[in-house]
Amino acid sequence: MKNSKIQGILDKAKEAIESADSVETFNSIKSFFLSRKSELMSMMSTLGTLEPEERKEFGQELNQAKEEISKSIDEKIEELSKKELAEKLAKEQIDISLPSSNFTSGGKNPFHVIKDEIVDIFLGMGFDVADGPEVESDEYNFKLLNIPDDHPARDMQDTFYISDNVLLRTHTSPVQAHVMQQAEGKPIRIICPGKTYRRDDDDATHSHQFAQIEGLVIDKNINIGHLKATLELFVKQMFGEKREIRLRPSYFPFTEPSVEVDITCANCDGKGCSMCKGTGYIEILGGGMVHPNVLKMNGYDPEVYSGFAFGVGIERVAILRYGIDDIRRFYQNDVRFLHQYRKKA
Amino acid sequence: MLVSIKELSKYVDLSGLSPEEVAHGLTFAGIEVEEVSRLATGTNLTIGHILECEKHPDSDHLHVLKVDLGKYGTEQIVCGAPNARKGLKVIVARVGAKLKDGNISASTIRGVASNGMCCSLLELGVDSKYLTEAQTKGIEELASDAPIGEDDVLGYLGLDDAVLNLKILANRPDLLSLYNVAREVGAIFSRKVNIPTYKFKADFETDLKVGSQTNKCSQFSGLEVKSIKVGPSPKYMVEALRSMGVRSINNIVDIGNYVMLLTGQPLHMYDADKLPNKELIVKDNLGVDFLALDEKTYKVILGDVVITSNDKAMCLGGIMGSNVCAVDEKSTHIIVESASFDGASIRHTSSRLGLASESSQRFVKGTNHFQANEVLAFVAYLLKECCEGKEFSNIVSYQNEAKPNDKVITSTSYINGRLGTEFKDDEIVNTLARLGFKVTKGDKGKLTCLIPSWRLDVSCAADISEEVIRLLGFDNVKSVLPISNIRVGALKQDQYRLKAIRDHLLALGLDECLTYSLVSKKNAKKYNILKDEEKYELLNPLTDERQVLRTHIAYSLLESASYNVAHQNKSLALFETANMISKSSRSDHLCVALVGNRLQRGMMSSKAYDFYDMKGIVESVFTILGIENSRYKFEVCKDVKELHPGKSAYVIFQNQKIGAFGELHPLSYKDFEFGKLPVYLLELDLALLESAKVSISKMEAISRFPTVSRDLAFLIDKKVAASDIVKLIKVSAKGMVKDAQIFDVYEGENIDPEKKSIAISLTIGSDHTLTEKEINDVVDAVKFELNKKYSVTLRM
Repeated sequence: MKNSKIQGILDKAKEAIESADSVETFNSIKSFFLSRKSELMSMMSTLGTLEPEERKEFGQELNQAKEEISKSIDEKIEELSKKELAEKLAKEQIDISLPSSNFTSGGKNPFHVIKDEIVDIFLGMGFDVADGPEVESDEYNFKLLNIPDDHPARDMQDTFYISDNVLLRTHTSPVQAHVMQQAEGKPIRIICPGKTYRRDDDDATHSHQFAQIEGLVIDKNINIGHLKATLELFVKQMFGEKREIRLRPSYFPFTEPSVEVDITCANCDGKGCSMCKGTGYIEILGGGMVHPNVLKMNGYDPEVYSGFAFGVGIERVAILRYGIDDIRRFYQNDVRFLHQYRKKA
Repeated sequence: MLVSIKELSKYVDLSGLSPEEVAHGLTFAGIEVEEVSRLATGTNLTIGHILECEKHPDSDHLHVLKVDLGKYGTEQIVCGAPNARKGLKVIVARVGAKLKDGNISASTIRGVASNGMCCSLLELGVDSKYLTEAQTKGIEELASDAPIGEDDVLGYLGLDDAVLNLKILANRPDLLSLYNVAREVGAIFSRKVNIPTYKFKADFETDLKVGSQTNKCSQFSGLEVKSIKVGPSPKYMVEALRSMGVRSINNIVDIGNYVMLLTGQPLHMYDADKLPNKELIVKDNLGVDFLALDEKTYKVILGDVVITSNDKAMCLGGIMGSNVCAVDEKSTHIIVESASFDGASIRHTSSRLGLASESSQRFVKGTNHFQANEVLAFVAYLLKECCEGKEFSNIVSYQNEAKPNDKVITSTSYINGRLGTEFKDDEIVNTLARLGFKVTKGDKGKLTCLIPSWRLDVSCAADISEEVIRLLGFDNVKSVLPISNIRVGALKQDQYRLKAIRDHLLALGLDECLTYSLVSKKNAKKYNILKDEEKYELLNPLTDERQVLRTHIAYSLLESASYNVAHQNKSLALFETANMISKSSRSDHLCVALVGNRLQRGMMSSKAYDFYDMKGIVESVFTILGIENSRYKFEVCKDVKELHPGKSAYVIFQNQKIGAFGELHPLSYKDFEFGKLPVYLLELDLALLESAKVSISKMEAISRFPTVSRDLAFLIDKKVAASDIVKLIKVSAKGMVKDAQIFDVYEGENIDPEKKSIAISLTIGSDHTLTEKEINDVVDAVKFELNKKYSVTLRM
């Protein structure tokens, strides 16, 4: 600065700015040096009295000094508030490890996990879902399924009776008869999940109540190959692409031929382990071609129509998939058990 | 059915087949083999001869033996068996032997070297039921002529056998016969089958009369035999019986069992001299006390099949004979019965009396009604051979049943069509021939199949297709997905809504449960909080705990909640949906139980469950189904004895009570282990919700103009329901009150005890920007209506 007075003010101002350390001090410095009544500003009012040449130079120097002071104060204030904010934020560090608010879903009994999953798979294959009553007549539970009066399966030992000819269904197969009668001779493609009852004492592997999913397809020219392919699709979807199935001849009164379906053991990939008792296979469901007598009794001409049926135990599938140690767990509803089945995968 | 490989090989060529291979073949032909076991096992076994037997110097029960092992020289063995003695021939497990319970190695027992072990049959794995007490306590004593140094000890003892345990399914009772198992194995492996037949010639004409006065006996044949001698059975029969799980008694009893195991036909023997007369008549109309062979008395009732002589019960058909005419050591003159009885009837009698036997089981499952002559010829042969039987009568028979149709007509195309296979005519014909069918080929693949006499299960073309596939294997079936018109599988409306409700409650964080449908009589009467209906009750429950089909889930779900609380799980939100059946209705129910605290942030922030939590759950169910709150309402519920009369409500929909919920009544706490935890319960009948009409909601225009809010607070009669106040406010200003939210309710100090203070926030809006005057007019209108109806005192 040419003007030593201005230079003096500027130096003083800089000195004050340097030693200041709070927003308040800066504000008072600003007002001391730059307010209307300040030395600098009062010098501004003397401009008019000067010669034009002198006025120009003096005015520029005044403005320059004013801007310099103002700018360095603003910079300092910004610097300071940034620092203060940083200090404030640093003090606000929380313990992110504390418990969160609860937004998880409930636990689904693995029984329902499996049931819903099987239903979804068959819906995807174009099956509908049928329901039927748990209290059934002797006729639907047995007779219409080709189980004659003297068949051992009808024993009082195995069935809960309500009266001589009313009982708790022992399988979901009676729904087959209901559906066939309602469909009145048209093609059928249904599954039916449902509770069933047998006169068994409850222990780790037996339950007086359990559930099955029944499947039934009726159309022209249906054969075992169709059953095999349908179950292959189901098994791969349910237990993984690597699972293979194997059919073994068996016997059910309402199918002919009848098969037991084994899948390669998921635990050992079919090599043989303790889970599959060294066989490499695990029995998973039963099925077969609908017996001509069953078709006939329920309104289908077995010369024209044929069909296949199968049944799978829901708890059995859940036990296999999750390694559940006791069938009674499904009915205990211990939340420590249920909460293990929250994930959707 | 236990099948000895050794016995089986007498009737079918098994050369080159291991027991495991036979088992695998049977399993994949539909006859599951549950287990393959050995009668006895052991390696490094040799027959030895005890040359010396001295007391062990340092033991009061051990002996030190010198045993001659023939080509293996003489070994010193320390033995603890009480019957060890000089001169005895014994089974020695030499060093290195592998036995059922471990391996034999050279050792020193109390300072004396021992190289091997003398064995009992128990140690070779023979089931103790075949052994005498002496045999289980000491080492096996071999015959004095047993060959010293012989290695094939199991062969020498007839114990070198494997036993298959066959699971016989209901359609194949014919396989409860070793002959028929042999035929089956022959068919599976294409092996030669050799079933012996016996010629029979009567020595005299009997005056025995047989018959039946009930249709529960379709066939009854008798053979009279004189001058027989009761004694022990020959060795081959003892061994055959043992390998198939039957213990030898004497030659007469053993012949009965042996013939049954081979032919599948149960037999019964009467002491002819003890019968009241020379008649055996089957009846089912007796009600008497029956003294049976086991010397116990059983009550015979109307309907039980009984074989009578002079109207006295001599045998409980197919189950057990009478003590009166039992064959014993002194019997010389017998009558042999080969009959067929109705399975269902035998089953009822045997399960009522708790008497089940190999015989009764065969009748229950079904026997061949047309083989009595062959069977009795076989019996006669054995009686002659083993019991010195000399005089045999003619066979007298009663038969009231014609042979069933033994022909099935089918075709190659039918069989292939059903199986999804491409078998040729000859493949099918040959396969059936292996199984004993005689097949004649006709035009266009027509096949006429003559069913073998022993196959009781084959009666239609579908059965023939099964025979073909179970022998040729399911690997021949081509996997093809069923082709039909493409269609979408879909849940029906009720199924879809039930699933939607379950998914929603799970997403809210409630846990989904599953409980038993059967409850005790006592508990079935409790917690019918919605309605009480007539329930189904079991005739034959297993326990009192599971006797009645519930019509409400509530009790069962509370039990699950109580179980959890007892296991320290004290914050619970549980639900279950299930189909309820009563004598008058069937519908899906939803039950919810809330117990303890709702954990917002674990235990750092939690709040006790209250009435409004449950109410919120109910409302949310309506919301997700698209049912507006104007279509349902809650009503105070004071008459459910399990619920708190001041904190419970009914859910009313379509003018019907479809749900009840509220806090558990203090007196109900004694039923469970909830301590002091708050418990809320809901039972909702979903039938009307699943069927309710719900329209697709068209988009409602959202106003472009801002709304304003104004608060209002006033004192009002305590009894006025908050919902009525809100309803009134909403209609009081020509639809300009868009919303009215209660934000505070206060009762207590500084307020008239009959009144409560309510604070409400109004949201006011219209189709234009409101002026201050319009807003004030709306507020005034609200105040006016409130005053008119409830004479409120404004506070703000």
